[in-house]
Amino acid sequence: MGLAILLGMFAGAVVIGVPVAFAMGIAAASAFWYEGFPLLITFQRTMSGISVFALLAIPFFVFAGEIMLHGGIAIRLVRFAGALVGHIRGGLATVNILSSMLFGGISGSAIADISALGSILIPVMKEKGYHADYAVNVTVTSSIAGIVIPPSHNMIIYAVAAGGGISVSKLFLAGVVPGVMMCLCLAVAAYWIAVRRNYPAEPFPGWVSVAKTGAIAIPGLITAVIIVGGVLSGIFTVTESGAFGAIYAVILTSVFYRTLGWKEFTIALTSAVRTTAMVMILIGFAGAFAYLLALYQVPDKLSELLLGISSKTWMILLMINLMLLVLGMIMDMAALILICTPIFLPIAKDLGMDPIQFGIMMLVNLGLGLCTPPVGTCLFAGCAVGRIRIEDAVKSIFPFYLAIFVALILVTYVPAVSMTLPALLGE
Amino acid sequence: MSNSLTFVHRIEGWLDLLSKLCLIICAVALATLVATFGWLVWGRYVMNVTPTWVEQLGLLLVGYIAFLGAAVGIHEQFHLSVTLFRDAFGPKMTGIWRFIIDIILASFGGVMFVAGLELFAFGWETMLPMLNIPESFRTLAFVICGALIAIFAGFRAVFRVIYWKNGETYPDPVHHEEA
Repeated sequence: MGLAILLGMFAGAVVIGVPVAFAMGIAAASAFWYEGFPLLITFQRTMSGISVFALLAIPFFVFAGEIMLHGGIAIRLVRFAGALVGHIRGGLATVNILSSMLFGGISGSAIADISALGSILIPVMKEKGYHADYAVNVTVTSSIAGIVIPPSHNMIIYAVAAGGGISVSKLFLAGVVPGVMMCLCLAVAAYWIAVRRNYPAEPFPGWVSVAKTGAIAIPGLITAVIIVGGVLSGIFTVTESGAFGAIYAVILTSVFYRTLGWKEFTIALTSAVRTTAMVMILIGFAGAFAYLLALYQVPDKLSELLLGISSKTWMILLMINLMLLVLGMIMDMAALILICTPIFLPIAKDLGMDPIQFGIMMLVNLGLGLCTPPVGTCLFAGCAVGRIRIEDAVKSIFPFYLAIFVALILVTYVPAVSMTLPALLGE
Repeated sequence: MSNSLTFVHRIEGWLDLLSKLCLIICAVALATLVATFGWLVWGRYVMNVTPTWVEQLGLLLVGYIAFLGAAVGIHEQFHLSVTLFRDAFGPKMTGIWRFIIDIILASFGGVMFVAGLELFAFGWETMLPMLNIPESFRTLAFVICGALIAIFAGFRAVFRVIYWKNGETYPDPVHHEEA
């Protein structure tokens, strides 16, 4: 009965539109009350859910991403990517994907990626004769790279949701190959459509231009090197490297690039506060919610249910992926990481899957959910930037979905895709 | 414009100001957080003295960013929600759902406030390590958050009714969600 109250209250509150974080809080408080626990426990769990040292990295990553967004890093990366791959057929799409890989790798945010790169590239692509739906779809789907390629604050959320026993540096390393591979799959899909629609190629500007634009873009890319390198080398903790990366980004964009004024700084700061608050309150209430899921043995029960349907590992992983895909269509990423990790991770572990591989699989899967209707935050943002209707965008998005799905399948069934780099670098 | 709507706009102005004040406090807290962690790294590697209070201060500040920011999120309506079903039955039903949501949030904010006060009193004797201030200072953010949520959501529910009585729909802000 307690479990029914927990899940029923949560589902009911979410369906009528109560913010997901508060829906979790309300459901947890109701279940605690039903079980006869003091109500204070709900809020103690919420407070202790937030008071985790590793979580301090989230505001730093988010702030660094906002500084990148408002501080003029994106345009330099686009110029570099344009010089490097713009001469390929449908070159601007490849530029878009490469820029997402570079920028997303620094900012760790899909929405920041769309806002920064979409607002630069979508108008240019339309001007050069690319259809608006194509420009939007490339921008939206490639933005997921920001979630998978380190540093990514979603990886920290996953590490915390998994109970804190997972190495963030391992997650960082594990995300590199799947992120690059996903971008390659997207580039193939984009090229295939470009050939079919006869999109143009840009003239190759020469290696001198590539070197020049690269030299200008490299200081921006160093932000990611500081964050990821600092963690991997053991010089910094994740939190310290996040703070150091944010400070470096502020100095770079304000002193060297001179594109970050007081106005841009305050916009970045307040925007980072909003995102941080939204994520942290989710984590707080998810702490109380996850405690009850464990109390009611939900992972064990679901595991039994799935094993009752099939005992084959590949089939159970497929079912988990399908469930995540469906949930990803209606709910946002951070909330789903916090809700689904305590439920599905024990099952994946029982099946012999490494928690690191499972985390990357979950990030790719839920990333796809950000691009799918009816609730796709990235799709909505991309359509808003590209000024087209969602119905028009989704008509031609399927090759891109397929590309990400291929990457998802590889991450799910080929452990080497995500686990080779952590193993090679001795983490 | 009717007197009741003029009254609504006046109160809304005060609530906007309150929300902005919270946002500024959070922004200052975030800037302090970044600066102190910069100081931590500098102290450890350059001055060879690790300021140990930074981590505890960080946890305290992030609590204020999270809880005051969450209250701002209720006012600005930027929290992640599933709006698919809420918006599926036309503007009139959407308005009713929004009213119900505000009532639920205001009530939950009230519960947070009352429970938070108990936690506040409970933690007064316990000191935060390295900072030597009562644990209640951490809980204070939660108490304020509960009160602000009750105020922001409660007033909005009242405003919705006043707008309806004047034959208008309450102008909800545009969402700005993050991924």
